[in-house]
Amino acid sequence: MGPATVRYAIRIHGHLGATVLTAFPALVPQHYGADTVLTALLDRSALYGVLAEVEALGLDLVEVRQLTSPGESSESGDSRSP
Amino acid sequence: MTIISAPAGSGKTSLLRTWADRPDRPYQLAMMQVQRDQQDAQQFWLTLLSAIRHACATTSHAESPTPTPGFNGPAMVGRVLSELAGHRGRVMLVIDDLHALNCPDALAQLTRLLTNLPGGVHAVLATRRDLQLRLPQLRLEGELAEIRAADLRFTERETRELLDASGITLSEAGAALLHQRTEGWAAGLRLAAISLSDHPDPERFVAEFSGSNRTVAEYLLAEMLERQPDHVKDLLLRTSLLDRVNGELADLLTGRPGSERILLELEDANAFVVSLDPERTWFRYHHLFADLLRLELRRTLAEEAPALHLRAAGWFTRQGQFVDAIRHTQAAGDWPGAARLLADHSFSMSLDGQTQTIEALLQAFPPGSEHPELALVHATVDLVQGRLDEAAARLAVAETYAEAAPPDRQHRLQVTVASLRLSLARRRGYFASVLDQVKFLELPVSGQSDEDIALGSDLRAAALMNLGIVEAWSLGLPDAERHLQEGADLARRIGRPYLEVACLAQLGFASKIRPFATTRRRCREAIALADRHSWGEEPIVAPALVALAANLIWTGEFDEGERSLQRTERALQTDTGPDIRLLVHIASGMLHASRGRHREALDEFTAAEELRSQLEGSHALASQVTGWMLATRARIGLPGEARATLAALDGERAGSGEIGNARAVICLAEGDPAAALDAAAAVLDGTAPVIGYVTVVETHLLAGLAHRELGDQRAASQAAERALGLAEPDRLVMPFVMTGSRELLEALPRHETAHAALLTDILDVMHGSSLAAQGQQPPPQTEELSPSELRVLRYLPTNLSRPEIASELSVSVNTVNTHVRNIYAKLQASDRSSAVQRARELRLLSAGLTR
Repeated sequence: MGPATVRYAIRIHGHLGATVLTAFPALVPQHYGADTVLTALLDRSALYGVLAEVEALGLDLVEVRQLTSPGESSESGDSRSP
Repeated sequence: MTIISAPAGSGKTSLLRTWADRPDRPYQLAMMQVQRDQQDAQQFWLTLLSAIRHACATTSHAESPTPTPGFNGPAMVGRVLSELAGHRGRVMLVIDDLHALNCPDALAQLTRLLTNLPGGVHAVLATRRDLQLRLPQLRLEGELAEIRAADLRFTERETRELLDASGITLSEAGAALLHQRTEGWAAGLRLAAISLSDHPDPERFVAEFSGSNRTVAEYLLAEMLERQPDHVKDLLLRTSLLDRVNGELADLLTGRPGSERILLELEDANAFVVSLDPERTWFRYHHLFADLLRLELRRTLAEEAPALHLRAAGWFTRQGQFVDAIRHTQAAGDWPGAARLLADHSFSMSLDGQTQTIEALLQAFPPGSEHPELALVHATVDLVQGRLDEAAARLAVAETYAEAAPPDRQHRLQVTVASLRLSLARRRGYFASVLDQVKFLELPVSGQSDEDIALGSDLRAAALMNLGIVEAWSLGLPDAERHLQEGADLARRIGRPYLEVACLAQLGFASKIRPFATTRRRCREAIALADRHSWGEEPIVAPALVALAANLIWTGEFDEGERSLQRTERALQTDTGPDIRLLVHIASGMLHASRGRHREALDEFTAAEELRSQLEGSHALASQVTGWMLATRARIGLPGEARATLAALDGERAGSGEIGNARAVICLAEGDPAAALDAAAAVLDGTAPVIGYVTVVETHLLAGLAHRELGDQRAASQAAERALGLAEPDRLVMPFVMTGSRELLEALPRHETAHAALLTDILDVMHGSSLAAQGQQPPPQTEELSPSELRVLRYLPTNLSRPEIASELSVSVNTVNTHVRNIYAKLQASDRSSAVQRARELRLLSAGLTR
């Protein structure tokens, strides 16, 4: 297990509007194509809380990714690591 | 079994409802939906049990299921299974929203239920996510069917059918586009249909929808909301923070009348509003819909949300629905208010079996917040769950707080603390410390509000019960009876069957000074009431069960007494105090001794003695326990040991009648009947204190045995006669059996006794006991004898002539002759002695004992 809080990127299919985003106040949204990626520094409990909310709202979960360095991109298929 | 596992909005509930509504079902349907975030296992199970009862139209005499303070999961599973098994015909058991069951115990219990379903019962579970129900066996046997998201998705053709059915005209291309965009997701299609149904330009709507990147639910919900009149939109938003809504509550939150009509219209328009009762007064929104609305509320009317929550909380408080009231107060962020409500009502809530709900509410308080009143709530939970030391500590904190509390709250808090203290003391057996808590009971039930009176009544009924129990155990029996009866009556008035059963069970137990018949009747009443509520195996009825067992054993009905004792054992659990266990040991000891199993009897009496020594304060049956333990030790051939223990007793105890009897037994075992007579003398001349007259019966018998040893048959017979005389009113049998007085009784000339019938009964029991010991089964009954015939029958083994029997019974000789003729016919006997023989085999002679 790594550090207690880790930066996560959670990718949802579709653009999340203002209403749904109020369910994720701690996360920063970014649009990537037809998807929305929510990013934040989360510990495990918080992560599962977010995932539970994703389930409750019937959102289409595409990917959950752990970002290991601050600069790492959250675009799938785009690898910037050396 | 069928599992439907698919995400929110896939159409699971719609599927279940549509399928359930079909006419002419060849099975009964029991359907329930798990409440959101259900942390209370007992609530889940009671809802399920109700649904099953309703479906199977059970016409049993059982009462509707009432929650109990402590919850016995395995017993509940058993109840549900037997309810299902009792129904002939197929049953469909449907549980919707199973993912909402946030209670690990409940899932384990449910697994047990599902793996033991009777044939003819099919279970259907609907959930949003796969659950850890370990059912590998079912999968292997091919008895598990699954319906998953892919199965529930609408195909393109089905989409077109939906559009047609909703009266929406859309081109093939448009329908295809809609299907593609929603990916066949049921909730999306339904939301779209609502917007499309009277849309001026459906094609454009679909095109725009298709071209948007917004998530389906959000887009469509926004569309749908926009097309609602403002007041409807306002209603939906404001009421979204409720789990369920009715017209009155909605009016309160919107500040406008007429909400009920709007809700009904929404339901009719199939707009995600569903009524919860046949009268259509309560409604619920589809969870997904409600969640989105709630978010929209947060986004647009955030500053109003706390006020809305408080308004709702006020309404629920006025309705007496305190759990909802507390939840909304917490949601409004009014933690002190929530703490006050919780502290005021946790006692009543615990009586309602909502202990787990209380725990969940406690956990919702922000960590580190200071609410000293909550110590009282924690103490209540600790008590119910058997953590007595923690409860004591928290009560001390609560008490300190109550002393410094504001005057309007002080009374209520102090009364609650006092009542909890009583309960704690009773559970621990600390009887002495209890009686000074009683002061508040002397005050009449007064209070400003209905709420106060209700709470006060709950506390009062529980306090009376605890007080009565304590008094019964410390021999304040008249007070005990009075308080327990008062408690039972109050409990019945305020509709607290659990407390009523508890009080009646203890009353049966406390009836020791009453005629045995009264005790028996009271015990049976308590047990019958408990059975009607399906609490026949719960700890609260244990006092009545064990008191009944002891009662039956005293009057020689050993088999029935043993059955009652076995039921008691089953009802005992870890939270039962040492007081009940004590009596179980005593009763078991009596039973063993009566059947000649003295070693086992000694084990039981020794165990009872152990427990007695752990109790604080003197115990009502203390000297009886010690006395019988010593006597039994002497009887198995260890008089020396018994004497040694006897010598070590303190003066006060050593002087009691029960110990005097033990001394007599020891002397007899040592072959010193003269000394035994001396020991008996102190009891017989009335100088030794006794618990009750039953001790003196024993003393007479021991004296009689001693006289026999000394060769004085006349004195022996006189002693036996005196014993019979004392035993006659209640028809006691056990002392005769325990003291081994068979020969003493057989030597008693029949014409010299005024108690021939009782004598016969006792001898028959002694004879019957040895029959049972040899394992002989009595032959089957031919035809039942009437009560009058039974009365005559019991005189047949005596040497009384028919005229003498007639005068004993105060009837004519002709009547006796008729009865005897019938008896011979029914027992297929040709003469008196064969009739008696047959009667003995059929155990009829002991059957006529006092009812």
